[in-house]
Amino acid sequence: MALRDDVAPVPRWRWRVDADGDRSARARAVILFLVLIYAVLFLFSLGSGASDTSFWAVLSGWLGGGSEALSLRDRVVIGDIRLPRVVLGSLIGASLAVSGAVMQGLFRNPLADPGIVGVGSGAGLGAITVIVLGNTVLAPVIGIFGIYALPLAAFGGGLVSTLLLYRVATRRGQTSIATMLLAGIALGALAGALSGMLVYVADDQELRDLTFWGLGSLAGATWAKIWAAGPIILAALAAAPFLARGLDAMVLGEATANHLGVRVQRVKNSAILAVAAATGASVAVAGGIGFVGIVVPHLLRLTIGPEHRYLLPASALLGASLLLVADAISRIVVAPAELPIGIVTATLGAPFFLWILLRQRGLLDL
Amino acid sequence: MAIEVDDLSVHIGRKAILSGVTLSVKPGAVTAIVGPNGSGKTTFLKAVSGDLPFDGEVRINGEALKGMKPWQAAAHRAVLPQASSLSFPYTVREVVKLGLLGGRSGANPTEQAQLPERALERVDLKGFAGRFYQELSGGEQQRVQLARVLCQVWQPVLDGQPRYLLLDEPVSSLDIKHQLIIMDIAARFASAGGGVLAVLHDLNLTARFADQVAMIHRGKLVAAGAPAEVFNDALVSDVFECRIQVGVPPSGDLPYVLPQSAQL
Repeated sequence: MALRDDVAPVPRWRWRVDADGDRSARARAVILFLVLIYAVLFLFSLGSGASDTSFWAVLSGWLGGGSEALSLRDRVVIGDIRLPRVVLGSLIGASLAVSGAVMQGLFRNPLADPGIVGVGSGAGLGAITVIVLGNTVLAPVIGIFGIYALPLAAFGGGLVSTLLLYRVATRRGQTSIATMLLAGIALGALAGALSGMLVYVADDQELRDLTFWGLGSLAGATWAKIWAAGPIILAALAAAPFLARGLDAMVLGEATANHLGVRVQRVKNSAILAVAAATGASVAVAGGIGFVGIVVPHLLRLTIGPEHRYLLPASALLGASLLLVADAISRIVVAPAELPIGIVTATLGAPFFLWILLRQRGLLDL
Repeated sequence: MAIEVDDLSVHIGRKAILSGVTLSVKPGAVTAIVGPNGSGKTTFLKAVSGDLPFDGEVRINGEALKGMKPWQAAAHRAVLPQASSLSFPYTVREVVKLGLLGGRSGANPTEQAQLPERALERVDLKGFAGRFYQELSGGEQQRVQLARVLCQVWQPVLDGQPRYLLLDEPVSSLDIKHQLIIMDIAARFASAGGGVLAVLHDLNLTARFADQVAMIHRGKLVAAGAPAEVFNDALVSDVFECRIQVGVPPSGDLPYVLPQSAQL
């Protein structure tokens, strides 16, 4: 079996490119457009839900100064239910999409995703450990960390699996892309097996918790969760712009990036840390929400091109918007109940992923 | 001022790929490295580029390569690798622009914006800026990469320091016209005060364009000097392990190299 990281046919449909080959003006326009889209979706999400509280009523209540217009119930619905959900959804969407874009740049492979290199599975193992053993063996530890135990465990799991992966795949300061992908598959399988053992010993209530966590959901969004996961995600997102230049240089290979003056090893370390942090924190608070990291950067590359200084911010915006849309769908389809959002993203994302695979079968030579 | 290579050795595992190579790559000249397949030419270029750990010393304009940060080395030299592949749909302009990443092209800010187009024009790819890199032929891709490399060290001399082009088989997949265009770019870079170190396979092209030839055989430097000094029947036949005749046309002093037979 040979792994090739070099061949990727140019997509057949894409936006026309001007003769000068410069797509930066268009990229800036698209980013501006995405900001508007996101703003609209943000307001729409705040104003819609199972309760009949309308955002406009609330807004006019606030602006008009007539506090009687705003019932306590409305305040609670907007401030404690919808707003945290929208904020958490945005953070997670942005973090998943940016993690995907960074990983793909690092691996020079449009199909790479934190899920593929085992970061997601490692984070999952951390979370499952807390859910299953939290009431028994780990009870004293959980007592110390409280609500932060789950995100910390997932972050730790993601980081440990990334570092293990790094130990395996890095030799003399150089990381082999193929070895890292293969090691990621092995580590993912191991984390999966350990998770399976934990699921096997779980009791009925734990199984129920596990199932809902694993499906991925924003339903339990609270300010506490945002305080637990938000800073980690924001830190990772803030680091991304500093990686753009290095990731651009890396597309021509590590040696060429070095020739161009990029500190390759530092870019790789930072990229991996940022991805582990963002993925771990997202997985902890919302479980597995798949395919955002593959779909968003891929769509954007077709329209604005692969330059990371535009791709990364655009991914954050489109990822956040996409998650708000998926969340709206998850609340509307079976209202007044709701679907876990992971089901929605997988239903939309998996066929899309297969479509990319179909068009790029030359990528993996098996 | 030069790239000075002093007693350079490279080991991969226990195997010595290069041993004890000492060579000076001077500004104002094109230095060609020749030798049979597997002799260590590319390894030499990679060591000088800073891609491989090595024993011995490489100094660029008097500064040790081993202590240099990547961006410092990038201001001194640009490297054209043998093959470059891309997995994302970059346009030709976007690839060439990567050469400007370090910000040390030496062009003034107004010139900088047009540098990709001008570099493309030099490598005979005018009008290719909006094409997709992956849709080009191998030879065209190689010239796009050369345009990128030229952008990185656009001024052959910057702040009084000569800069260097390190080229690994820059003409290997090109037709004769474009081989000449590329070698001419190298020669012009050298005559403007920069230095060029190029791995070449074609001995006649080497004789035509190189000021200095370094011949490498089984990891050792066997000869270095002007083409007319280095190229002689006995040495070339011996190194390439086949019968080769070297001649000098009556019209000039440049030698030509004529292969005779695979048997010595």
